[in-house]
Amino acid sequence: MGGHLRVLIRIALRNLFASKLNLVIGGIILVGTLLVVVGGALLDSMDQSMSRSIIGSVAGNIQVYSAKSKDPIALYGAMGAEADLAAIDDFSKLKTALESIPNVKTAVPMGINAALITSGNTVDIALEKLRELVRQKQQGGSTPEVEAKYQSQKEYIRQILRVLQSDMKKREVMLAEKSIEPENVAALARAGSDAFWNDFDRDPLNSLEFLENRIAPQASDADLIYLRYLGTDPDEFQQSFDRIQIVDGQKIPTGRRGFLFAKFFYENMLKLKAARRLDKIKKTRVDQGLPIVTSTGKGGQPSEAEHLLKENQAQTQEIILQLDRIKTQQAIQRLQQELGASDTDLDALLKKFFEMNDQNFNRRYRFFYDQLAPLLELYRIRVGDVLTIKAFTRTGYVQSVNVPVYGTFQFKGMEDAALAGNLNLMDLVSFRDLYGYLSAEKLEEVDKLKKLAGAESIDRSRAEEELFGAGRKVVAEATPGLIDEGRETSGNLRALRREELLRRVYSKDEMDNGVMLNAAVILKDPLKLKQTMKDIEALSEREHLNLKVVSWQTAAGLIGQFVSLAKLALYIAVFIIFIVALVIINNAMMMATLQRVHEIGTMRAIGAQRSFVLGLVLTEIIVLGMVFGATGAAIGAGIVKWLGKVGIAAQNDWFYFFFSGPRLHPWLSAGNLIAAFVIVLAVSAISTLYPAFLATRVAPVRAMQAEE
Amino acid sequence: MTAIVSLSDVVRTYRLGAVAVPALQGVSLEVHAGDFISIAGPSGSGKTTLLNLIGCVDTATSGTVLVDGNDTQHLSDRELTDLRLNTLGFIFQSFNLVSVLSVFQNVEFPLLLQRRLSKSERKDRVMSLLDQVGLATHVHHRPNELSGGQRQRVAVARALVTQPKIVLADEPTANLDSVTGNNIIDLMKALNVKNGTTFIFSTHDSKVMSHANVVIRLADGKIVDRTTPGNVQLKSVAEVH
Repeated sequence: MGGHLRVLIRIALRNLFASKLNLVIGGIILVGTLLVVVGGALLDSMDQSMSRSIIGSVAGNIQVYSAKSKDPIALYGAMGAEADLAAIDDFSKLKTALESIPNVKTAVPMGINAALITSGNTVDIALEKLRELVRQKQQGGSTPEVEAKYQSQKEYIRQILRVLQSDMKKREVMLAEKSIEPENVAALARAGSDAFWNDFDRDPLNSLEFLENRIAPQASDADLIYLRYLGTDPDEFQQSFDRIQIVDGQKIPTGRRGFLFAKFFYENMLKLKAARRLDKIKKTRVDQGLPIVTSTGKGGQPSEAEHLLKENQAQTQEIILQLDRIKTQQAIQRLQQELGASDTDLDALLKKFFEMNDQNFNRRYRFFYDQLAPLLELYRIRVGDVLTIKAFTRTGYVQSVNVPVYGTFQFKGMEDAALAGNLNLMDLVSFRDLYGYLSAEKLEEVDKLKKLAGAESIDRSRAEEELFGAGRKVVAEATPGLIDEGRETSGNLRALRREELLRRVYSKDEMDNGVMLNAAVILKDPLKLKQTMKDIEALSEREHLNLKVVSWQTAAGLIGQFVSLAKLALYIAVFIIFIVALVIINNAMMMATLQRVHEIGTMRAIGAQRSFVLGLVLTEIIVLGMVFGATGAAIGAGIVKWLGKVGIAAQNDWFYFFFSGPRLHPWLSAGNLIAAFVIVLAVSAISTLYPAFLATRVAPVRAMQAEE
Repeated sequence: MTAIVSLSDVVRTYRLGAVAVPALQGVSLEVHAGDFISIAGPSGSGKTTLLNLIGCVDTATSGTVLVDGNDTQHLSDRELTDLRLNTLGFIFQSFNLVSVLSVFQNVEFPLLLQRRLSKSERKDRVMSLLDQVGLATHVHHRPNELSGGQRQRVAVARALVTQPKIVLADEPTANLDSVTGNNIIDLMKALNVKNGTTFIFSTHDSKVMSHANVVIRLADGKIVDRTTPGNVQLKSVAEVH
């Protein structure tokens, strides 16, 4: 065959554009190659971007956790519930062991849990302020300043009550009376009466309790917020995941208890809803260039922006309740001026204000932030606040922990990525408290309580005898009712204990020596992932650490498999396309062979062997595949290059995560090009086997027959 | 003279469905080296079948076909192909040139299949033949750029390039006007005289027949006549052009 190759290639090249059928086949090959090159490049780029997101935001290169765990680890949550991981008792031991492996840079302690927090509604917050003023008055005597604040706060609460009452009246009109609880009506009536407020100063604490228990629950703006948090050593976390940036506030000081909100979560869950909605509208206008008003144009379907504005108009209470008398007046004045309106009702003014359109949006957006926002609390929890988190411990009781919020953070390049942006950070000690493990100081506290109460520990195996045996010393005495630590240690004592805990600085040893759920292992050379995983497994075996070792991809759960799934989908699509191509090429080649029976017969007659004919057909398809495949690959490479330059915008928060930023800039790898080429050539060759076989069966005698 | 082609009692039957159609019914024939044989007869008389059997593109149903001493009945497809390549040359009614190859490449093609000659030897051989058929100036032309007569001359050159012992031509003049047809026959005759190559060609045309030194007439698959025309004009190769 070798000597024939020249003539075969010559004939193949000359035949390339000689037949329309060849152009059809070439077109299919071109499109197929283009698809493989572009699709492959996109997915590969996405895979790498996402791996950056996952590795860089929480997973590290490898995750280890106890092999005794009930569930596999799922850093981004598994179907709503947190994975049930067994604890690793002594993290410092694990850390030392892990860091003895040469390729391990560091191991960061971790634990993920979730809690529901109530952000506290407006009434609660107002009452809390009033309580504080009452406390100041009782402690330090009444200064004129405190007195003024006290009176103003009282007036503010009365105003809230008026809003609630008028709301109640509206509801009475709309709803059947029976759906409104008479006790609530009575409570509101009592709280709104002058008599109640005239008596308030005589016993402020009792009155406050009434308001807290009976009135606050009636204000509907309290939210239950689902809070996912990662307990870790904040310093170590920050060093290992260096894309982290503090946006507001500061980092958690070394050794302190503290909490950092993910900026994305903070903005989405804790910001004043009206403001959040305005932000969303602004974002769609800027990012996607979408207009607000579409309802007049496209068949009356309101745009999302219009929907958001309607919600703002309907939910003005959220703003109104926040404003005391003075601030209400200020807001009214500013709005009157801005809108040129004479209404004196804040609700009406706000409704007018939120009638926004494409012309006035930018101005009103600025006005909102410049003029109204300063009167409001924009966030339900502010940097500097102490956050109370209650969570179910592993054993099922509710544990609560107070942590100061030091600020917000984000990962560079993933500012809008929902998956990375919903995980907040907490110090290790608070995490352990919340998870229900006894810390050293808890043990100490239990000891103190025991001494104080004269309690004695008895061994479990001897419990029956001790309690009920003949010479029993222990007499059970019980007081009905539960002890609520919060109530028992109220006022100054409670505050002092809180302060003390929050100020306490924990040493590195205290952080490390303790229970942890999992650890992120950061590698020096990420390319040696598999080998290092094996090394860790061997180590676990050797030192009986009983560890489960997974790659970042596995640790990310379903999310980690996303790109693999997308790749599978692409390959299936490519497979189907090529099956179709196979059939088409096969048919086209059959037709081409039939058209050339005379020529092939002539070649056979003048002495070409069957192998030569086989070579002829195969060479032609391979040349065709190479020429059109190369063209397709070149065009594909051009498209990828162009996309790499302009980038593909992330359409939503999820893609933000997959793209590891607002835009994906795909790039081309040699592997992709080679894969595309090999696939195309293989498909072309396979689809031509049968026509080529038929061609070898053309009898030389066909040369003698007149050409049709 | 020894017979270069020898047929004895050859029968060739085609099957058309259930019907057996006899194309040749017991043909015996000897062709000697250097013969310039014309096979004549009406359509359907078996001319092409006879040529196909001699040309090793078909085999007999019964009887023996010896080509250059080889019993074609007992040769494999590969051996038959080699025989065609090395011993036989073909000239077709409709020229049968490879349309995507140039004149030079068409003529060179059998040499490439043979893989015996070096590039320069091939070039010399091809050019000398193209010179003999008067197309040395058309080497780079494609077949569709040539007239019918020119194309058939290319085909003649291609048939002779391997220096075959026998050249078979099936109605070589049928697609040509009479002047051009005569020129082609004259060319073949001149080459026959010059190289001693055996030519066997079929034709309807009595004028063409008159050039042959042996004319074999077929009717209904049988040889009905074998004549040797007296006044065969011999022309030199140079005069043909």
